Amino acid sequence: MKALALVLALAFFILGILYGMGIINVFTKSGAAHAHHVTHLVVLWVLALLCLIWARFQNAGSTR
Amino acid sequence: MGIAQALFLALLQGVSELFPVSSLGHIILVPALLQWRNIHRSDPSFLAFVVVLHLGTALALVLFYRREWWGIVRALVRSVIRGKLSSERNESVGWRLVVGTIPVGIIGLVAEDPVRRLFGSALAAAGFLVVNGLVMFAGEYLRRRQQRSETRSPRAIEHMTYAQSAAVGVAQAFALLPGISRSGASIVGGLLCDLDHEEAAHFSFLLATPVIGAAALLEIPRLFAPGAHLAAIEALEGAILAGVAAYLSVAFLTRYFKRNDLRPFGWYCVVFGSICFVLARIGGIS
Repeated sequence: MKALALVLALAFFILGILYGMGIINVFTKSGAAHAHHVTHLVVLWVLALLCLIWARFQNAGSTR
Repeated sequence: MGIAQALFLALLQGVSELFPVSSLGHIILVPALLQWRNIHRSDPSFLAFVVVLHLGTALALVLFYRREWWGIVRALVRSVIRGKLSSERNESVGWRLVVGTIPVGIIGLVAEDPVRRLFGSALAAAGFLVVNGLVMFAGEYLRRRQQRSETRSPRAIEHMTYAQSAAVGVAQAFALLPGISRSGASIVGGLLCDLDHEEAAHFSFLLATPVIGAAALLEIPRLFAPGAHLAAIEALEGAILAGVAAYLSVAFLTRYFKRNDLRPFGWYCVVFGSICFVLARIGGIS
């Protein structure tokens, strides 16, 4: 599970960068494109951070 | 947009965001009913104003639950540093809120634009408002049936499973559809996960804080979008009024759900939504 969490974190992180650079435009609005790319970047990086936290819990082993 | 219109919309947003009646549906339907032809939902100035109203609402929620949020944030930080989960209440609630927020983030990322493009009309908002009412009736019916057929006692938020928290988060994501209430969907989701009305509403309002706050913060660039001319005083008054309305709404609803259920809101949504639906069908509103 730790490996999966790390892979997901990396995938979200890279996806965020690609959105931020405007390379990926899937699921973004054509109008306010830049603002929307930033939104995707932030949400994807938050997901990456959560995956890292998940990996940390796998590392230490949880009490529940 | 005149100052009276701005203040009315701020009041409407503050109240309807927490009451299970869909703020987005009301922001579409009420100006259409009042024939406010100077308000265009895609106008950059209007979108910027809505962002400010959401910030006011989120701030009110943080203020209302400030002690609980402080405890939850501290517990989450402690838990990450420790690298272990414990059974402490604030920590358990905090991680359930995190898990419940993830589906909204992912579904919002993927589905928000197409959903708004497809269902942004008054007709769709009215139709979904009726559906919202029916969902609340269905939630109450299923809840009663669960209680009759099983001997399960209502549980507290911290005793929900993570899968249940995620399910409530998924239910909440249906509020991307204009007319479907975020709080209504998440309260119904909570009820079906064995929470009582008070706990389900509590979880829904806590879950609303990061969702509304993050949505507003992420939309801040709209304030500086080309063509967004927002008078500072109008924006400030709107945010304060929306915040006060949201604070009073959550104070009222937390008391209301101690003894009452969703059915009055269900009736309101069915009746108001049906009237708007008929008007939209015959061209009375658009």
